[in-house]
Amino acid sequence: MNRLAVSFGAFLRVAVAHMLQYRAEIALWALWGVVSPAVLMAVWSAAAASASRPGSIAGRSTGELMAYFFMTMIVGHMATAWDVYEMGWLVRTGRMSPRLLKPILPIWESLADNLAYKLVTLVILIPIWTVIAVLVRPTFHTSLRDAAIAAVALLMSAALSFVWGYCVGCAAFFLTKMDAVAELWFGFNMFFGGRLAPIGLLPWPLGHVAAVLPCRWIVAFPSELMAGQLSARDAWTGLLWQAAWLVAGIAIFRVVWGRGVRRYSAVGA
Amino acid sequence: MSQITVNGLSKTFRVPEREGGLRAAVGSLFRRRYKQVVAVDQVAFAVQPGEIVGFLGPNGAGKTTTLKMLSGLLHPSAGSAEVMGFVPWRRQPEYLRRISMLMGQRTQLHWDLPAMDSFLVHAAVYGLEPGTFRQTLEELVELLELGAVLRKQVRTLSLGERMKCEICAALLHRPAVLFLDEPTIGVDITMQARIRAFVAEYNRRFGATIILTSHYMADVTALCRRIILIDHGKILFDGPLPALAARLAPYKVITIDLTRDLDGFDFAALGDVLSRDERKVTLRVAKESAAAVTTRLLAELPVLDLTIADPPIEDVIERMYRSSPAVPPPAGVGR
Repeated sequence: MNRLAVSFGAFLRVAVAHMLQYRAEIALWALWGVVSPAVLMAVWSAAAASASRPGSIAGRSTGELMAYFFMTMIVGHMATAWDVYEMGWLVRTGRMSPRLLKPILPIWESLADNLAYKLVTLVILIPIWTVIAVLVRPTFHTSLRDAAIAAVALLMSAALSFVWGYCVGCAAFFLTKMDAVAELWFGFNMFFGGRLAPIGLLPWPLGHVAAVLPCRWIVAFPSELMAGQLSARDAWTGLLWQAAWLVAGIAIFRVVWGRGVRRYSAVGA
Repeated sequence: MSQITVNGLSKTFRVPEREGGLRAAVGSLFRRRYKQVVAVDQVAFAVQPGEIVGFLGPNGAGKTTTLKMLSGLLHPSAGSAEVMGFVPWRRQPEYLRRISMLMGQRTQLHWDLPAMDSFLVHAAVYGLEPGTFRQTLEELVELLELGAVLRKQVRTLSLGERMKCEICAALLHRPAVLFLDEPTIGVDITMQARIRAFVAEYNRRFGATIILTSHYMADVTALCRRIILIDHGKILFDGPLPALAARLAPYKVITIDLTRDLDGFDFAALGDVLSRDERKVTLRVAKESAAAVTTRLLAELPVLDLTIADPPIEDVIERMYRSSPAVPPPAGVGR
């Protein structure tokens, strides 16, 4: 465990150094993460203004909708994971080989990259988030209890997104090209994760489909929780769902990783 | 006791294939055809601790695939292998900590950062004590003359500088078994010589077992007393380098210096004329007739000097690559 911690620390340091090497690129990626929720805030704000009962959609006020999408911006950042794309590239080009030769699972290096990105970009994002919060005037009903549970849910969300993204990324060992899989996973997360619309507003049966996928617990649940839009019972139930999906993801990772490495053909390396 | 034991090791890849053209492309959409490509076929050999073995063969012969299996990157289709008592493809961390595989065409360094950053990560991942790491790094930096490049971004290094950094990274944890896949590819002659000298020194100092693939014969002749020749996935030869020459090139090269020009003499009747330059002639003759040809040359011509030599190993290997002769399996196979 100590060796793992030391290795992870070294990966993290080098990942931060890498981020700092390309400051402009990292800043642009971070800004890109803001664009989509900001556009959605504008769209839903306009929709609420022109609704049959102006200022409200399906019982949610404009301020509550803004709070939800504002939180998807923050949760979305904390749940950013790009391993579905990267695994495809690493496996297809044989660049996975040097990682496989190290006496440590490559997932730890990817996790360090992921964490480094989130930490470094916070410096840029926190001021931007603050400005947006002032502009859109979100309405929060968040209690101290909600905030405490939300902090745990946010960490679980980041873990869930990373682990499930990595599991899907392991398909790279079985498929030649991963681009379409990556886009499909991205689309699933946008739609069933509640990034485009709150899950409660999805038409039947899409809301029920979302309920049986991990995506909902990655973005929608922590966002609603942080906006203070869930009851105590829903909050605790949500945490349990997150834990269950995380355990399932880790179990699936162990299986697909083992089988995937057996199939690895180390192309060109 | 052998440090590396390989028995009946095979690797078959399933690759899609089709004819060229749009019709075949559309056809493959509905009915995809696959071909089984046997990259490594029932390979067997053993390597003793401290040996340096040259693993030779033309492109696609199965050299790199074999090394990938021995380093744990690939799972074999059949057969078994043990390296220091470990089954490589189980990929136990204890095993991976004791080996290194250097791939000349693949970097293990962080491309956008100074090499030193990669070395620090390496030290952490391999659990090197700070004192040991510093000492080993200082030694490697001195031997490989790396001092000036440690702080430069890897992507800005020349190929030779990068290869030296790759070697440094591969040896920081002092692996007991080293798989070198084309370690000198693309670097200039001076750098090749330096890398060769370094590998020899590492083997001498630490008793490391090394399997080396290279297309540069100078690497092989300088480092390897033993050669394993592989082609089409099968081992064609396993033994000392001179024995390979004897097996693959059953001829001698006779060079004569004459005291005067001879226009009318038919040298072609004695053997293949490799070169003829005024008073100097080089012939290739069958090994069994070398003595008779020499006697005749000395008796019939005004010979100033005469030398008989084995063909250069480079020529032997080159001929082998060109023709892929069916060399009978030698006694050494499967030791």
